[in-house]
Amino acid sequence: MSTAALELIGITKNFSQRELLRGIELSLATGGSYALTGDNGCGKTTLLRIIAGLEPPDGGEMRVDGSVVNLVRYPEALRHKLIYVHQHPYLFHTSIDHNIAYGLKARNDPAKDRQVLVEDAIQWAGVGHLIDVLPQKLSGGEKQRVALARAKVLNPHLLLLDEPTANLDSDARRHALELIEKLCADGVTVLIACHDREIIDMPGMKRLLLESGRIAPV
Amino acid sequence: MELLEPTREAFRLLFTGDAGLWRIIMTSLVCSVTALVLIAPPAVALGFLITKVVFPGRRALVVLVQALLSFPTVVIGLVIYMLLSRQGPLGFLKLLFTPEAIIVGYMVIAFPVLVVFTLSAVQGADPRVYETARSLGANRWRAALTTLFEVRFGVMAAVFNGFGRVVSEVGCAIMVGGNIEGLTRNIPTAIALETSKGEFAQGIALGFVLIVLALGVNIALSVLQGEGGMK
Repeated sequence: MSTAALELIGITKNFSQRELLRGIELSLATGGSYALTGDNGCGKTTLLRIIAGLEPPDGGEMRVDGSVVNLVRYPEALRHKLIYVHQHPYLFHTSIDHNIAYGLKARNDPAKDRQVLVEDAIQWAGVGHLIDVLPQKLSGGEKQRVALARAKVLNPHLLLLDEPTANLDSDARRHALELIEKLCADGVTVLIACHDREIIDMPGMKRLLLESGRIAPV
Repeated sequence: MELLEPTREAFRLLFTGDAGLWRIIMTSLVCSVTALVLIAPPAVALGFLITKVVFPGRRALVVLVQALLSFPTVVIGLVIYMLLSRQGPLGFLKLLFTPEAIIVGYMVIAFPVLVVFTLSAVQGADPRVYETARSLGANRWRAALTTLFEVRFGVMAAVFNGFGRVVSEVGCAIMVGGNIEGLTRNIPTAIALETSKGEFAQGIALGFVLIVLALGVNIALSVLQGEGGMK
C-alpha cells in the first residue's frame, strides 16, 4: 500500500470562540488533484495555511509521507516542499526571473541549475514575453502565472493553491486553468481551494467539501 | 547687523578650501556616518522584530522607543558624560572629549529614529511579502531581509532621518566632545561657538553646509526612490 502524500488527523482551529475547523480528517494521494470547496469563510484558506506552516492549528496531527510533522515548530525543510500560493499572489520588487528563482535561491540550488530551471518554468508558464516587465505592472492573471511558475519550479511535494482563478478576467482565467491542468497532468499533488466549476470538473480532480468545520464526502 | 560682508567671507572660506573649516565639516561627517553605520543594523533589526514578533512588553518597548525620540539631546549627552567621565563606570575607556564619544552619543540619538521609522515601514509592508518568502522556503532571516528589501525606501528614509538628526545636533556633541578645535569641533558646535564670539562668517559658511547636507540627503532619497517610492 502506498503512503499518502499528506494526511490530516483531527485538525482543529478556533477564531475568537468560533470553531472554524472541527477535526479535519484528510488523506491526499501522491500525484492526486483535489479541489477543496465550501462556502466563503468556511476555513478553506485557513486549512491551506495550516498545511503550509503559515499558521499553527489548535490541535490535530499532520503527516507527510507517513512522518508526523510538528505544526507548532514547522520544519524549515518542509517549506521547500509544501508550497502555498496566495489568492492574489505577491511578486517581489525585482525582475520576473528573480521572482521565479527566489525559492531556488532559498534552497541554495547552484546558480547554473537555477538558470536552467527558471528558463524551463518561464517557458512552462508562457511568460517569456513578460520577462522585461516590472512585476508591479503585470495584470492579476499574469501575476498568477508567474506565481504558479515560481511554485512549480520548486518541484513541490504538494502545491496549495488558494482560489487561483478568482477575480480574473476570462482570458487570464483560461490561462490559469491551462496551467493548473498541466500541473495535474504532470503528476504534481495539488490541493486547490476554489469555487470554480471548471477546476472542480477537471479530469481526475477529486472534490472535497469543507462544511461545518469538517471535510464531508461528496 | 551687517550680513552681506560675513556671508561673502563665508563663501570665500568655503570655496578657498579653508583647512580649519573643512576639518570641522569632515569631523561632522565622519562622526555622523560612523554612528549610523554602527547603529543602523541593530536598530533596523529591532524595528523589524518589534513588528513581526509577539513578546511580552512589546507595547511598552514601542512606547519607550517613541519617548526616546523626544528626549533632549543634551540630557543624552549628560548621561553619556557621566558614564564616560573619569569617575564613571566607563571612565576606564578614556573616551570623553574624543570623536568616539560623539559617535556614541550620535548612536544613542539616532537609535530611536531608526527603530521608529523602520517599525513604521515594516508595519506598512504587505503581509504577503513575509508569508510568500516563507512559503517559498526562505528561512526567517532571508524572509526578514526580503521584507526589508521590499520596504527599502522606508528603511532609507529611516537612515536619512537619523543622519539629519545627528548631523545638526549640538547639545550632546558639546557635552561629550568638548568642542575641541581640530579634534571634536563639528559643524553645529562650531556654529554655536563662532556666533557667541561674534564671528559670523564661519557660522554662516557652516550653516550653509548644513543646509546643503539636509537638502542633499533629501534629494538623494528622492532620486533613489524614483517612481518606486510613489504608491
